[in-house]
Amino acid sequence: MAAPTALDRLRDPSEKTLGVMLLAPAFLLLLLIVVYPIGKLIWNSFFDLRLSGGSGVKFAGFENYALVLKDPDFWNATKNTVLITLITVPGALVVGLGLATLANLPFRRKWPVRLALLLPWALPLAFAGLIFAWFFHTEYGVVNDVMRRLGAAEPTMWLLRPGWAFTAICMTIIWKTSSFMALILLAGLQMIPRSLYEAAEVDGANKWQQFWQITIPMLMPSIIVALIFRSITALQTFDIPYTMTKGGPGNSTETLAMLIHKTTIDYLDVGYGSTLAVCMFLLSLVVTGFYINRIGRNA
Amino acid sequence: MTTMTTKRRLTLAALTGAVALATGLAALPAAAQTSLRVFSGGQNQRPDLMRKLFDQYQAKNPGVKIDIETGGATSELQRQYLSTVLNAKDSAIDIYMIDIVNPAQYFGAGWLEPLDAHLGMSGADAMKPYLPVYASSNIVDGKIAAMPAFADAMFMYYRKDLLAKHGVAEPKTWDELAAASKKIQAAEGNPNLQGLSIQGAPIEGAVCTFLLPYWSQGKDFNDASGRMTLDKPVAVKGLNQWLGMVDAGVIKKNVAEVKTPDTVNEFMAGQVIFAINWGFAWDRFKDDPASQVKGNVGVMPLPAMAGGKSATCVGGWQWAVSAFSKNKAEAAKLVKFMSSPEASKFLAVEGSLLPVYQSVYTDADVVKVAPWFKDAAGVVIAGKSRPMSKEYGQVSDVIRTTTSAVLARTKKPEEGVDEIASRLTRVMR
Repeated sequence: MAAPTALDRLRDPSEKTLGVMLLAPAFLLLLLIVVYPIGKLIWNSFFDLRLSGGSGVKFAGFENYALVLKDPDFWNATKNTVLITLITVPGALVVGLGLATLANLPFRRKWPVRLALLLPWALPLAFAGLIFAWFFHTEYGVVNDVMRRLGAAEPTMWLLRPGWAFTAICMTIIWKTSSFMALILLAGLQMIPRSLYEAAEVDGANKWQQFWQITIPMLMPSIIVALIFRSITALQTFDIPYTMTKGGPGNSTETLAMLIHKTTIDYLDVGYGSTLAVCMFLLSLVVTGFYINRIGRNA
Repeated sequence: MTTMTTKRRLTLAALTGAVALATGLAALPAAAQTSLRVFSGGQNQRPDLMRKLFDQYQAKNPGVKIDIETGGATSELQRQYLSTVLNAKDSAIDIYMIDIVNPAQYFGAGWLEPLDAHLGMSGADAMKPYLPVYASSNIVDGKIAAMPAFADAMFMYYRKDLLAKHGVAEPKTWDELAAASKKIQAAEGNPNLQGLSIQGAPIEGAVCTFLLPYWSQGKDFNDASGRMTLDKPVAVKGLNQWLGMVDAGVIKKNVAEVKTPDTVNEFMAGQVIFAINWGFAWDRFKDDPASQVKGNVGVMPLPAMAGGKSATCVGGWQWAVSAFSKNKAEAAKLVKFMSSPEASKFLAVEGSLLPVYQSVYTDADVVKVAPWFKDAAGVVIAGKSRPMSKEYGQVSDVIRTTTSAVLARTKKPEEGVDEIASRLTRVMR
């Protein structure tokens, strides 16, 4: 028999070759839509690349990174982004857990509860922001209307006071994201065997003890998954503050994603915008690393 | 073996034929017809009227087919969209309608085709027939970056009926305006009646809100070369003028939330005595079915600071040819038509859009529809333009964000002005 030609090998590939061949399309696609843009972003971050000046592209080395470290806008946006993450992720977890527990109760009709859970999740972020911006409007908003009926003398200018604006944004984000949390947690809740609760009841444990001793530990894997997803999207917060306050008043509610958008799209400073984006990427990497590390230890 | 080869040959021949046919078919109509795609702004730029002008042009030039694209309710949203499209060197759109503040930035970025060669004349000659402010904003680095479409400026609209009822004359200074408002507000006894409506939200209009009281003290924000000449104490005094009127109850407390449409809607609802807004608002007050102030609206030049002189913020829209267009010559011809006196008159008569030619302001047909245009020409000519800068995106963002924060009282006027100065000194030099 003659030695197999290249064509023969292609017709009847070994297990390994077949694996490589089957993976190749997906790998190439990932290369194109993930690796290339990230690579290009990092590359751009080392250049003075301003579209508006017409001065051309100049290699800048680490100059952009030095500027970032000295940039009060960057630190302000980072502070806001981290604060939003620290407030809204646990906030959404608590509210989501409550919603999931509620939805898990043996209702006769389950669909109205499930629908109420799904709707905020299905709403686009920017719409949620616009709707809540109306809720919090000084004159036309429903929030001030309720407060006036309850006896508040002066309307609160929610979106014009840095502290209140930040609170309003966090409340909106929690409302918007807790249903996502609830959906994941609800799936987890339904996997907990009833027998565990029955056994606990026989042993004389009350509902509160059952919740802490059975529900929470059994739910831990779902909680971790929900936290990872939510934390990463929280670090990228853009739509809700952008539509509610545009980062205002001043830049007191500006997040990192908004600063990157402003620098690149409004200021047309692509080089510096890329540097900011790389810094945000690093921040996400740190948070993801933290979670992956925790999961590794738990497993 | 032979059959296979024959088959292959046949397939190949068929394919070649099909490709040739397809290219032939595609090439045929292309030779006879040019398709131009135009970005025609948002609703306030009246794409409906522009469409009618395009139809007129198509009727006269059967070889040209014009598609229109609209979008972006505000100048900032349009700027964001256009920055994205033009940055990607997209050749799909041939002509752009752009705000008066943008030619410098876009031309600087190499996104606009210089029109000198296409029009066969120099910038100075081409711009001679237009109002002078449009000549200066459309010539960038000595080249024609864009051609004027229609003018705009900020005007003071007021309730003629209320001023007459309470025997108040048109105020000439901001202090007189505050006094007049207080008098009318007190006499009317309506807690929802605002004295003056200005735009304090961080939108493009807030740039003008910052500049109006500053300019009306006789100072300039920048010199001819674009270098910033901000006089800080004067700017602080200007912002304090607004804040004083907020304290006096003339301007409402949440002014930092007010956007251009809010002013228009509240004035239409009869809740405002004096309102600063663009020229397009006139048409809304006069014709909008929801307007409760029809027939009671007066227009006057903006008041000045005590001891200063009236100055307004000039706006307006331009037609520019994309540097990435594949039909630049045809596009330039269309731009020339859209920027002609006939087009300007059509827009004035049909939509009360302010003309870019002085002669059109006094045209009999125009004056019949909008009698106040006779006086408007003077206001536009005396108006000032916002800083022409290749970094206008940044200039605008810094001024509007800071002004809004000062009006929201999260920053003191001194802090705000210092911030504008320190952030823009680097950019405008």
